[in-house]
Amino acid sequence: MDRRKVLKGLATTGTLTATGGLAMPALAQSARVLKFVPQANLANFDPIWGTQYVVRNASQLVWDTLYGMDSKLQAKRQMIESEDVSSDGLTWTFKLRDGLKFHDGEKVLAKDCIASIARWSVRDAMGQMLRAIQKELVAVDDRTFKWVLASPYPKMMLALGKVGTPCCFIMPERIAKTDPFKQIEDYVGSGPMKFVRADWKPGAIAAFELNKDYVPRAEPSEWMSGGKVINFDRIEWIIMPDPATASGALQNGEIDWWESPLPDLVPVLKRNKNIKVDIADPLGNIGSFRLNHMHAPFNNLKVRRAVQMALSQEDYMRAVVGSDDALWKQLPGFFTPGTSLYSEEGGEPLKGKRDYDAAKKLLAEAGYKGEPVTCVVGQDIPQIKAMGEITADLLKKIGMNVDFVATDWGTVGQRRASKSPPGQGGWSMFHTWHAGSDCASPVGYIALRTNGDKAWFGWPDNAEIEKDLAAWYDAKTLDDEKAIMARVNKASMENVTYIPTGFYLGYQAWRANLSGITNGPLPWFSGVKKA
Amino acid sequence: MFGFLLRRVLSTIPVMAIVALFVFSLLYIAPGDPAAVIAGDQASPADVERIRESLGLDRPFVVRFGEWGWQLLHGNLGTSMFTGLPVVELIRQRLEPTLSLMAVTLVFAIVAAVPMGVLAAWKVGSWLDRLLMAFCVFGFSIPVFVVGYLLAYVFALELDWLPVQGYTPIAKGLWPWLENLILPAIALGFVYIALIARITRATMLEVLSQDYVRTARAKGLGESTILFLHALKNAAVPIVTVIGIGVALLIGGAVVTESVFAIPGLGRLTIDAIVRRDYPLIQGIVLMFSFVYVLVNLVIDLSYMALDPRIRY
Amino acid sequence: MTITASLPAAITARDHYAAAPDLPDIHLPVRVRGGVAGFVFRQPTVALGLFILAIMLVLAVFAPWFGTLDPTALAPAKRTRPPSMDFWFGTDAFGRDVYSRVIYGARVSLVVGFAVAFFASAIGLLIGLVSGYVRAFDSTIMRAMDGLMSIPPILLAVALMALTRASVQNVILAITIAEIPRVSRLVRGVVLSLREQPYVDAAIAAGTTTPMIIKRHILPNTLAPLTVQATYICGSAMIVESILSFIGAGTPPMIPSWGNIMADGRALWQVKPYIIFFPAVFLSLTVLAVNLLGDGLRDALDPRMAKRL
Repeated sequence: MDRRKVLKGLATTGTLTATGGLAMPALAQSARVLKFVPQANLANFDPIWGTQYVVRNASQLVWDTLYGMDSKLQAKRQMIESEDVSSDGLTWTFKLRDGLKFHDGEKVLAKDCIASIARWSVRDAMGQMLRAIQKELVAVDDRTFKWVLASPYPKMMLALGKVGTPCCFIMPERIAKTDPFKQIEDYVGSGPMKFVRADWKPGAIAAFELNKDYVPRAEPSEWMSGGKVINFDRIEWIIMPDPATASGALQNGEIDWWESPLPDLVPVLKRNKNIKVDIADPLGNIGSFRLNHMHAPFNNLKVRRAVQMALSQEDYMRAVVGSDDALWKQLPGFFTPGTSLYSEEGGEPLKGKRDYDAAKKLLAEAGYKGEPVTCVVGQDIPQIKAMGEITADLLKKIGMNVDFVATDWGTVGQRRASKSPPGQGGWSMFHTWHAGSDCASPVGYIALRTNGDKAWFGWPDNAEIEKDLAAWYDAKTLDDEKAIMARVNKASMENVTYIPTGFYLGYQAWRANLSGITNGPLPWFSGVKKA
Repeated sequence: MFGFLLRRVLSTIPVMAIVALFVFSLLYIAPGDPAAVIAGDQASPADVERIRESLGLDRPFVVRFGEWGWQLLHGNLGTSMFTGLPVVELIRQRLEPTLSLMAVTLVFAIVAAVPMGVLAAWKVGSWLDRLLMAFCVFGFSIPVFVVGYLLAYVFALELDWLPVQGYTPIAKGLWPWLENLILPAIALGFVYIALIARITRATMLEVLSQDYVRTARAKGLGESTILFLHALKNAAVPIVTVIGIGVALLIGGAVVTESVFAIPGLGRLTIDAIVRRDYPLIQGIVLMFSFVYVLVNLVIDLSYMALDPRIRY
Repeated sequence: MTITASLPAAITARDHYAAAPDLPDIHLPVRVRGGVAGFVFRQPTVALGLFILAIMLVLAVFAPWFGTLDPTALAPAKRTRPPSMDFWFGTDAFGRDVYSRVIYGARVSLVVGFAVAFFASAIGLLIGLVSGYVRAFDSTIMRAMDGLMSIPPILLAVALMALTRASVQNVILAITIAEIPRVSRLVRGVVLSLREQPYVDAAIAAGTTTPMIIKRHILPNTLAPLTVQATYICGSAMIVESILSFIGAGTPPMIPSWGNIMADGRALWQVKPYIIFFPAVFLSLTVLAVNLLGDGLRDALDPRMAKRL
């Protein structure tokens, strides 16, 4: 017998009389409402302007894409009915599906797609490549548009359908005309759910309502491809900053689905008959020890290699995911394990027993004279905090002079952009992680770039790696791609572009009365049902 | 009296100005870049720079402060950088849960603490006094989140009497509203009971040793009359002061309680805003806190006059 | 609730000795007994407070000699072990020995507590005295204090911590700044009330100088409430430190403080309660000791009670 229900029942009768029957009785949760606890707060709702994963995850409910990725990482037609590419590979013609409508009832037209692509391409790495070779992007008729390029771009469909942020979401032209560096103020979407602007309390809750006019594709739904069928009238995203609270709420049935339970709490959840637990994203995450190649000491290759040879991925991974060995894997490479471009070429320095003495010797050889290593570590993100603790310990063990700056992620975000020397507001290293779905290929994998000044924070400089990365986009066969990426892997390992701290997975947990939950790089709501 | 009120209300304007300037300059020298957070981890440095420009973060301090002040004079608190929502709306969304939590906590704490303090002072030195004061010391000594977790574990998870987390607006009924607030209010109230009960006991002891209490006793007045009519009234000034201080402390304590019980209140909004450096939002919230605080203090100062006629303004 | 029954108890504890006829005989020899035993008997709470605090101080100062390991040494392979002979209090999520961290943690918490209590009381007392006694400054000072006070202390501390990097000094600074207005306001409240007392009026009429009045009449009378407040601040500073760590804006993570240990264990309290249990017990005990001591000091410092003894 559920004691609380009894209490509630008693109390409700009391309230009803007290407030003259106006109070709503505390209902059992309806099967048409889903309460979901996301990984992070939905602090803004513009998937082009803000590229945090949580924004994308919410946006895929509200905005549809031209192509959608399936579980084999192939881009499948989504809003597109058919595409045609000229024999020289320069002219792409896209035709939209019939009956597509925005949430305000307006038809989805070619001009909307063009404006959406234009806004997206300013902010996206692949989009920028396309912009650079773009001759024209024009509407042919209401449902057809044409994209003419100066050189072939075989990865076109991947660019428009990838899951890496920012995704090319289709918005009405008037919204898509917003400056890509400014936030949109109107959330009229093209997807299966509508964003309930009035119920949005950033930091607390975001709500989505079923879009009854949405016409799903006929194919079965898989990841972001196929027919998106939502079995809920309302999906509520409830933000819970405290994992212990979220765990309690799930055990009590106050929430239905928890996107990222803390691994250490999973044993408790698994013991509960009413809760199911599974891996959330088989593509997982890659932890990163990012070094500043511009300033001492990490501008010295030997110093970078000294850290690399002493770094124990096992330590990092246990700190991040806990004692569950099923959740992590050693990663002597830069690409996502289990994907086709994965390579361990040149990964030896990260394997085997960790040799602190050899690292010390290499440091001495490199002429390291106790220059401080400024570690900038965001304490508000548990995974990063955990990696930071291991790093401080590691660097001390090999005799480096650690200057540990414990701060928040906002400050890391600012400080890592500084190219000043570590002592003058700059930095030597920081931690982050990359989603496995972003590390399956060079698409969106900007952490691997080594174009010096223009590269991602840390500004690694290596012309050879750059050349190979560019060559991949022109590769015709998978074997070619694999060969190129094996070279990139080896060279990046030698260059110590960054040091992977390991590959790890996360769990998701849900009440047993939910069915249809699958795994993938983001939570898919399509096909999920509540009994 | 009227002159005093007018002076106080007028003098709040400099307070608000001091707070605004103080917070603004703090923020200006604080590191941290909202643009970097907005742009996400994968964004290029150039993108971050563009976003910073579009948010106006590249302009100097004086210009930003002046602009914000000008907006404020027109009753506009501005727009949150992250959410794009008006600051006023964000605060309004969060006001009810926090006020509810504070009100329930305060009522609970005062109702429990004042009699406790009076009782302890009356029976000073007895086992009852020791017990009550031991409880107070205990209340002081445990961090609010430990109490919160303990309560949640016992009453929500094990006994399943009350929900673990969340908030229901009062419009949906008195019990659903209260149900979500009981555990957080107890957790948060612990330290305030201790605070108020201690100060009540301390000042009561002082008052009880005064001559007029002896006189009252000598006159043969009833003990409860002496305690509550004579002594408590004379001990009221420090007690009311502490309750007033408690209101400001409550807001701070609410931050933690709101996190533990996932209550969508102002405390969490503020922490989020600080961590993300959402400048307009931080300023708006702080200004609102100052306003509330000034009001509470005005009420306290006025109550001094009512409670202790010796105090004149 | 009759008068006769309650009258002796209504007067403070020490009146027992004065009102001899009411006392059971057993109390009489107590007054004669001297030394430690006598003190413990007369002031059991103070003695208990001092005892606990002394233990904590000894633990803090001589931490390396209490069978501790390196409190910062990570051993991810041995993480979250329950308490055992090897790890008396178990290990935390990074495999660090919780016992060692708790013992070393006494250092941080005690330093934070005492430093904040001292600085906040001293500065607050000064501001409160000036503001309460010198009417010309009162309004200005109190407006500034109001301004500072109107920002909730924890939020102010979080904001101040966002300004600088995490360090123990900055935690002390942040909590002190947040506590000062409260002290000064309390002192001012007492001074305001005292200033209207007939003996102060009399002293002014007799031509006593302002500093002398403050020294002779005001200061002694503010000490009792200030001590109560200072003990509260000392305890609350330790707790605020733990809350700041809880929010992730406190002492740097490598430095073992009770707050940090609890912050590391907080997500796991349901499955590994011992990580949070031991530092919570130590923190609570220490704060308890400080408060017991404060209560005793308050009784001892109260001039009226002292006179009667």
